[in-house]
Amino acid sequence: MNKTDEALNKLLKKYDINNDQSLNLLPGWKFFDKKLKDTDIPLLSWRSNRKYVELNKLTSGNIVEHVCMLRFCCLTDKNTDLSTLMYREFDLCEFIGQGKICSIHATFSDNRGGNVIVKLDNGIICSVEIGNLLPDGSTMIDRHEIIARRGVASDIVVDTQIPQKSIYTYTEKGNFEYKDVDNELYGLSELEIESVRSSFNYLTGKRDKTALVKQHEHLSLLIKSAYISDKDCKKIEIK
Amino acid sequence: MKPIKIAILSLTHGHTRKYFQTLNDNPNLEWVAVSAESESVRDVFLKSGYHVPCYMSDKEMFDKHPDIEAVVMASANYKHIDQFRECAKRGIHILSMKIPTFNMEEYAEMEDLIKKSGIVCQIELEMHYNPVINRMKQLFANNELGKVESFNATNITLSPVWAFPWQGVPEESYGKRISLSATDKRFRGGAICDHPHIFDMIRWLTNSDYEYVYAEVGPNMRTDIEVEDILLVNGKMKNGVSFLFDPSWSRLEERLKVPGPGWEIFPKRMEVNFNISGEKGVMMSDCFGPNVYHNGYPNDRYTVQYTYFDEWIGLMDEFIDCIRNHHVPKINLEWHKRTIEVINACYESIKTGQPVHLS
Repeated sequence: MNKTDEALNKLLKKYDINNDQSLNLLPGWKFFDKKLKDTDIPLLSWRSNRKYVELNKLTSGNIVEHVCMLRFCCLTDKNTDLSTLMYREFDLCEFIGQGKICSIHATFSDNRGGNVIVKLDNGIICSVEIGNLLPDGSTMIDRHEIIARRGVASDIVVDTQIPQKSIYTYTEKGNFEYKDVDNELYGLSELEIESVRSSFNYLTGKRDKTALVKQHEHLSLLIKSAYISDKDCKKIEIK
Repeated sequence: MKPIKIAILSLTHGHTRKYFQTLNDNPNLEWVAVSAESESVRDVFLKSGYHVPCYMSDKEMFDKHPDIEAVVMASANYKHIDQFRECAKRGIHILSMKIPTFNMEEYAEMEDLIKKSGIVCQIELEMHYNPVINRMKQLFANNELGKVESFNATNITLSPVWAFPWQGVPEESYGKRISLSATDKRFRGGAICDHPHIFDMIRWLTNSDYEYVYAEVGPNMRTDIEVEDILLVNGKMKNGVSFLFDPSWSRLEERLKVPGPGWEIFPKRMEVNFNISGEKGVMMSDCFGPNVYHNGYPNDRYTVQYTYFDEWIGLMDEFIDCIRNHHVPKINLEWHKRTIEVINACYESIKTGQPVHLS
C-alpha cells in the first residue's frame, strides 16, 4: 500500500467512512485520452487544495467583485506533460472564475511550453502559461492571480515571483525548504494531500460522479481543442 | 468508540468559534450543549448555524445535561477557578484555555482538584497541532541545527479587546489589578497574557528551562486600553540559549464587536514566526503561511486570507484519546506551570526594570 492510500484509509477510519476499494479514484488528467471504466472516478483533486478553495471563496463570495481577468501560470519539470497542466489549469479557470471556458487560443513550442488565452462564458478572459522545462526534480511553481473591478487576489504575496514556503533551513547540508499544510495528513506533499482529500471528499459523498465525468469530458475536449488551436493557428469556440 | 458528550462553557474566549466545526464533525464527540455568559454572547452563537441547546448558566446546563462528560472551558481567565471547581465536583473533563490562571495559589488548587478528581485536564496550546510546528519538531529531532545558540520568536496579533472585552480588563484577564510599575498607569493583563505559545515552544524545542527573563514595555499603540500592548522579552535558558520574544498586539484592528471580514488593518492579523540559529545553521519558520491574498471586500485593503487554521482538530483528537484511553495530555497543568511562571516573571521584570531569575 502506498503512503497516500495509507493516509486515506487512516482518515476514513477516523471519520467512520466506508472505503469502496473497487473505485479507481485518481486525478482526472490520468484518464485523459483513455476510455473511462465504470469504476474510474476522474477527480478534480486541486479543488481540495486549500489555497484554491480560498481563491474560489474570494470570487464566489464576492470578496473580489466583478472579475475581469485571471492570470495563471504553472511550471514543472519534464515528468509532467502539457496536457496534465492544461487539465488542471483549465479546471481552475472555471473553478475560480465561476464560468465555463467557451473559447481557446493556444500557442505551444515543442510541446514543452505554451501560452493559452481562454475566455469564460461569463466574459472573463484568462491567460494560462504552462511549461515543463524546469530542471529535473524541481517542485511545481505556480501562480494564480485574479483581477477584478473590486480587488486583486493571488496565491503569491505582493512583490514576489514564486510561491513562498513555511520553513527555510540554511545548514551545512545545504539550503532546504518545507511546506506543510495539513496536520491530519502530515508528511504528505501538497499534491499528495490534494489527492487524499479529494478521494476522501468523494467517499464522503461530497462529490458527484456524474458531474465529475461530465467535467472530465469537457476538460478533455478543451485540451484537444488547445492542440488544434496551436496546429491550425486559430481560435477554437467550445460548444 | 463511544462518542464523548461535550459542552462549551461561557463562549466568551476568542478561540470559541474555532471549536464549533471540530465539535460538530468529529465522530468521537457529541456536542450536546453550550452555556452563554450574556444575552449578546448567546445571540452571536445562535447566528452561527449550529443547532445546539444554549443555556444562560453553567449550572442550568449541567443540571439539564447530567451526562456531559467533558467541557471546553471557553471563558475569561478569572472565571476558570470556579469552573474548575464545578467540573472537578461533577467529574467532568476539562479542556482549559491557554491561561488557566496567573494566580499560583489558584493554580496549585487546580492541580489538586485534577489530581483528586481523576479528571483529564488539557491546556489549549494549539500550536502543538500545527503542521509547521510538527515539521520543526522533526527537524529538531533530526538535530538539523546542531546545538541551538539563539532563538527568536514572534507571537503577534491584532488586539481582541473590542470583541472580547475581558481581555482588556486587568481583573478579568490577569486576575487582579496590578500596575505594570510604580510609574506606569497601565496594568497587567494585556498582550503577553494572550500569547503564551512561544514561551512554551522554546521549552519543547530546546528541551531546557528558563534561567532568567527580562521584559520591556513600549508605549501602547492603543492609548485607550488599560493593559500593555507592546512589549519585548529576552533572556537565557539554562542550557545557554539566548532568546528574544515579541508577544505584542502590534497589528492594528477595526474595533469590531464580532470578529469577521475586515477585522485587520495590517494585512496579516496573526503571526507566529521563528528564527532559530544553531551551530550547524539557521531555520526560519512561518507557522501561518503562506496563504492567499486580496484587497477586496469589505475595506479594499491588502489582506491575508488564511488557508490553514485547523489546529483544533488535532487538539481535540488528543483530548478524546486522553479521556477514553486514560492518557495524560502533553500540555497538562504540571507542564504548563512553568510557562505561566515565566509570564509572571516578565511582569516582575517590567516592574523592577531588571532581569528576573527563575527558581
